[in-house]
Amino acid sequence: MPSAPATAAKARPARKLSWRQFRAILRKDIVMELRTFEMLTSMGLYTLLTLAIYAIALSASGNGFDVRLIAAGLLWLAFIFTSMLGLNRSLVHEKDQGCLEALLLSPVDRPVIFFAKAVGNLIFLLIVQVFTVPLFFLMFLSSHAIGGQFWMIPLSLLVGAVGVAGVGTLLATISVNTRGRDFILAVLFVPLMYPLLLAAVGATSAGVLGGQSYVADFWRDMALAGGYDVIMLLAAYGLYEFVIGA
Amino acid sequence: MDKRRLTYIALAAAGVLTLTGFLLAFFVATPAQTIATLSTGGGRLFGGVFVSHPIDFGQKIFYFHVPVAITSFAVFFFTAYFGARFLITRDPAYDVKARIAAEVTLIFVLLTMLTGDLWTRWAWGVWWVWEPRLTTYFILTLLVVAYFVLRASVDDDERRAVYAAVFGIIAFIDAPISFAITRLVPSELHPVVIGVPGGLDGTQLAAFLIAMFGMLAFGFVIYQLRWREERVKERIEALKSALED
Amino acid sequence: MTDATDTAVSAEGLTRVFGVRKALDCVDFALPVGGFLSIFGPNGAGKTTLLRALTTLQAPSSGTARVLGLDVVRDAVELRSHIGLISHNPLLYPDLSAEENLVFFSDMYGVEDVSGRVRDLLDAVELSHRRFDLVRTFSRGMLQRLSIARALLHRPEVLFLDEPYSGLDPHAMDILDSLIAQIRHEHTFVMVSHDLAKGLELCTHALILAKGKVARYDEKAYIDDTTFAAEYRSVVGLGVA
Repeated sequence: MPSAPATAAKARPARKLSWRQFRAILRKDIVMELRTFEMLTSMGLYTLLTLAIYAIALSASGNGFDVRLIAAGLLWLAFIFTSMLGLNRSLVHEKDQGCLEALLLSPVDRPVIFFAKAVGNLIFLLIVQVFTVPLFFLMFLSSHAIGGQFWMIPLSLLVGAVGVAGVGTLLATISVNTRGRDFILAVLFVPLMYPLLLAAVGATSAGVLGGQSYVADFWRDMALAGGYDVIMLLAAYGLYEFVIGA
Repeated sequence: MDKRRLTYIALAAAGVLTLTGFLLAFFVATPAQTIATLSTGGGRLFGGVFVSHPIDFGQKIFYFHVPVAITSFAVFFFTAYFGARFLITRDPAYDVKARIAAEVTLIFVLLTMLTGDLWTRWAWGVWWVWEPRLTTYFILTLLVVAYFVLRASVDDDERRAVYAAVFGIIAFIDAPISFAITRLVPSELHPVVIGVPGGLDGTQLAAFLIAMFGMLAFGFVIYQLRWREERVKERIEALKSALED
Repeated sequence: MTDATDTAVSAEGLTRVFGVRKALDCVDFALPVGGFLSIFGPNGAGKTTLLRALTTLQAPSSGTARVLGLDVVRDAVELRSHIGLISHNPLLYPDLSAEENLVFFSDMYGVEDVSGRVRDLLDAVELSHRRFDLVRTFSRGMLQRLSIARALLHRPEVLFLDEPYSGLDPHAMDILDSLIAQIRHEHTFVMVSHDLAKGLELCTHALILAKGKVARYDEKAYIDDTTFAAEYRSVVGLGVA
């Protein structure tokens, strides 16, 4: 028993250090991004390009076409491709000058790196969403009323973004060490994201379209997306140590 | 030597069982019963799945499609399992085993897609439907292909093994989630028929189970033969490097 | 085990295998506290693997390695706070300023009195006047100096040097020499290098690694420079074949 308080006393400063390391990594990523705007500009521009392509794709559909039917899908499509761009960037600058090695040499628990990176990525993804969603609505849905309730849309985007950031951070850490980084990330990312996307598109769609029993549909899809988030984040968290040490 | 004999026995069993299953499916198993309540277009409920095509040929593929699908999933489990063993032991033999299991998975997943496609052609009259099981297997195919693309893009042996193991595990966790979510989120555009295998009568069940074990045996045989080939290759490499010294 | 207290870095049967390839094959050595070990070897001899094993980045397949009595596997996290690495890679974030880089790594190591420590180290490597400039704008020599400051932040007892001279111009080499001389007396050093002259000049112990095996390990007192060079060349020749 005498060892118990000793380990507890030792664990507390360790946890405090982990918290300090977590904040340091997160702050560093944000400071670097605000200095270069590398991720945000490339993601933002990519979104604009995607929206332009949507306009072309929908140009022949005529006035009678109800864009709301596919709005959720379009929104998620833009989001998923831009997020891959950003995820790649977030690990590339760690790799560039061997900084990742310096990070690994410090007395940091590997999950701390995972959580800090994932939270940083989540923040950037949300910033991009804050730009994208109003723009999308302005450009494609200004003549349509929302069938469901508006709060459903940001909420479903948030739950989706959590999964994208978590699993994406793991996959980006893998792909950054491969030949053809961007391509590999896409190949690994899209099929793994499939269930989350399906559920998230369903939830967003319920918010946009409304209709019969849309509240129940929304919560069912949200529960599925949330379940995916929990399971896959746990898996990514458990596997990250192997990936980052390889 | 014991393993080798087991492989040959399994090969014989696989041949006999699948052939028997094939014959049973076509000549013995009772055709699907017509459901009176589902009279639209002469539809039938078969193995819990609604089949609308009047010709009975479509249903026969059930006896191969489902066993192949189950086998692919069973083999995929071993990709994840050997991957986990590799991460714990760092023994490259497990990496090779995981890779071979993934190869076998790819074969069976492609076969599933093929038989599933034949099914949709006969049952629904189209070549492709975004039906839950087909969709899931399409995603599963992409996951297995991604596994090999990832392997091909990493130069360092050990790093490749670690990444492949991690991806194999997370892909295996992802697959059942895909399966569940595809079934639970109905698409508005393509009304899907959700069926549970079951409701087979005696002869149908016999044909199904025999084909099932036949396919599992085939999966095992392919795995064993590939594993032996890899072992021989490895020994040759070892001898080569010994000669160079 | 009797001399455990004065052994800084040691390896016993340190082996790292993957498949048929042996990167490290039963490496044994012990370096006393305050020593300077130079590890020589041709490319692919396992120098980097040995360094990565000693710095906890790659776990050995078998055998043990210790730094200050701490096991590289079991005590990895604690061990890391006692070692520093100076590499030919600067290991600094180009889009952060010199000061921000040092503050970041101070946080990672849990350094106390960050601003004081960072100020002292920037003074020591004579970069105070550039503290707010982005590392991106630094010359190779300045990067190397800042990288030394980074490695010393948490007052490590053992410093690992990974080809620190590669890519440096003669002037930057001199500065690096003088910096190492300044901190030489209070640290134990392990340096990986293929620059034989430089390595021999600095070291107290020398180790030649060939094909993952220790071809020679000796104290400098027992090493004759010219025969050592010949021996090294024969080993390198062997390694190339």
